[in-house]
Amino acid sequence: MTDVSINHFTFHYPESDVKVLNDINLTFKSHHFSLLSGPSGSGKSTLLYFIAGLYPRFIGIDATGSIKFGDTDIKDIPRSKVSQSVAMMFQNPNQQFAMDTVIHEMTFVLENLRLEPATMDDIITRALDFCGIKQLRGRVINTLSGGEKQRVALACIVAMDPQVIVLDEPFASIDPDSRADLIDKLKILQEKHGKTIILADHDLTSYRDLIDEFYYLDPDSHHISLLDDEQAEHFFKNFESTQTINKQVPIPSGDANAIIHLSDFKLAPHGTDLLTLGNFHFYKQKTTLITGANGIGKSTLFNALTKLLPYDGTITFDGKDIKKIRPLPYAKNVTLLFQDAENQFLNITVKEEIDLSLTNRTNTDYTQEDVDDMLKQLDMDGKDDRIVYSLSEGQKKKLQIIEMLIMNPPVLLMDEPFKGLDYRSLETVVGFLNRAKSQFYQTQIVISHQLSGLDELVDYHATFKDQNLAYQEVIK
Amino acid sequence: MNPGMKLLLVMIIALEISFTQSLTVNIILIGVSLIYILLQRVHMKALFGLLFWPLFPALGLFVSQWLYGSAGIHFAWILFTRIYAYVFLGATFTLTSSITDLSLTLEQDFRLPAKFAYGVLAAFNLMPKITEEIRIIKTSALMRGQALHFWSPKLYFKSILSSIQWSQNLAEAMTSHGFVEDQARTHYKVIRITAMDWILFVGLLVIVQALLYFLRY
Repeated sequence: MTDVSINHFTFHYPESDVKVLNDINLTFKSHHFSLLSGPSGSGKSTLLYFIAGLYPRFIGIDATGSIKFGDTDIKDIPRSKVSQSVAMMFQNPNQQFAMDTVIHEMTFVLENLRLEPATMDDIITRALDFCGIKQLRGRVINTLSGGEKQRVALACIVAMDPQVIVLDEPFASIDPDSRADLIDKLKILQEKHGKTIILADHDLTSYRDLIDEFYYLDPDSHHISLLDDEQAEHFFKNFESTQTINKQVPIPSGDANAIIHLSDFKLAPHGTDLLTLGNFHFYKQKTTLITGANGIGKSTLFNALTKLLPYDGTITFDGKDIKKIRPLPYAKNVTLLFQDAENQFLNITVKEEIDLSLTNRTNTDYTQEDVDDMLKQLDMDGKDDRIVYSLSEGQKKKLQIIEMLIMNPPVLLMDEPFKGLDYRSLETVVGFLNRAKSQFYQTQIVISHQLSGLDELVDYHATFKDQNLAYQEVIK
Repeated sequence: MNPGMKLLLVMIIALEISFTQSLTVNIILIGVSLIYILLQRVHMKALFGLLFWPLFPALGLFVSQWLYGSAGIHFAWILFTRIYAYVFLGATFTLTSSITDLSLTLEQDFRLPAKFAYGVLAAFNLMPKITEEIRIIKTSALMRGQALHFWSPKLYFKSILSSIQWSQNLAEAMTSHGFVEDQARTHYKVIRITAMDWILFVGLLVIVQALLYFLRY
């Protein structure tokens, strides 16, 4: 029996007065499935990294208070024994393997635990079998899809056989089938193998009947509280309501007013088909919302539209094959607001970033007053000398949106532009986008899971499902 | 042959021919390496690359030495073949040894700290991701109206930033997978340096010395 108990645990960065975790007292019960929720960037990961024994080693800043596995403080567990107590699954499927192939990674794991080489084959076979990925044994990890990688990550954990399994938003970028399957496996590990599961996620889909405890990290007080059934239900309902809006939109047709056209289009980056389209149009001066499950290929479609990934078939922009348009002019016409704001930054400070957009833009639709006003409305004024990488996730997103609006490209693709924004900022950004569309004739294509608050913005809605993209009348 | 020994042998020979001037030995080294590579069944495309790409620096050296050098055409030929000798010697290693086996032997037989052996291996396995990241950085810069070339400091700044982030993530992942620095590990695949490895290593080295001594032309 290993409860994970957190006592008077407080963490803050030395340069900041804000406590990321403020006097946390709670116990993740042994053999239970605990969900830790809270908005992105609220400090869930930080706590998980401490529980997994990765912090303070990898962050260099210690916290006050204690974390205990049963009666033992985690700091008293020798480093070579930590992985018998706890293992972690990370959010990014691409950065959790040191070796080239699945089998090499798994032997690496078992070698680290100093197991007898003679026993390894058996353990690996059983772990792969449990995760349903026997066929991936000899595969090169770089060629696997996100969902497959996360299954391999789970197989590594199963082979390690730790008491506690900690997962940090492990399903953020994987397809729904993999997600359902992994959750299923975690439930078996908890119920049949007595594992303690601690999972952080801000996306509450499909946890309702699964979890034993629901913890919530409040972004304002930085406290974590255990919710009772009623409160938990409130959060689930609230989450579901952000996932739906009820709005009727027209279904566009024909190629008049089309700006981007895909024909005989096929997208298959990992050898498996993600999307096959005979004929599809995106329309000028409209906001098209694309919805669909995680990991189904929405961002990959944007990568094809921006020439970051190879595809089969033809994409035309304004009647011209995009393969025949030179990179710079094309990038200025069809621009992507990356999901990860840091991808967009080229300079160091906020002012340099804004100035870069002001210098390089192709039109001067936004005046200096407009820019100052946008910064002010999003509480980004007076931050000129801040280093962009030190901004909070929400602030990075706001800066990124403003600088890409200043560029004012004819077509703006946006990949989860509202992630990490509070509701008031979201409404402000929707106002900006509506202005860009009505005054500057911008075409906008948006991928978003967050739907509430977008009623005013969306003109057309396309769902991505079963390797197909199709316009729908209702948004939900 | 043990990949660690092979790498060592190749490096010693390459170093030696940098300081000796024997056209015959260079040609013998190229010939033997070529036969070895052919016996290991490598792709024709890789082989063509080995012949084609060094042609430019080799020809450059040859022409400049021949036309402007004081040591004459014989020395020009030495420089020309030396480039190819380097390339083919290197290829006997890179085309036929696995980087995974190399790090295994470096860890197990050459007593390199496991941290380095696996760190290098992990970095090597990240190569495709790095290429992808550079493409993203370049595209993203284009979207802000800036073309970044391979000499642009910004490209390096951004790549280094990503690399630091990745190396951190990787170190965390390795730790989470039970890796502890300076801690004994077991080995599923044991790579030993065999008597045969030693015989080949010493034997080949002696032969090269003899050739260098007797074939001075």
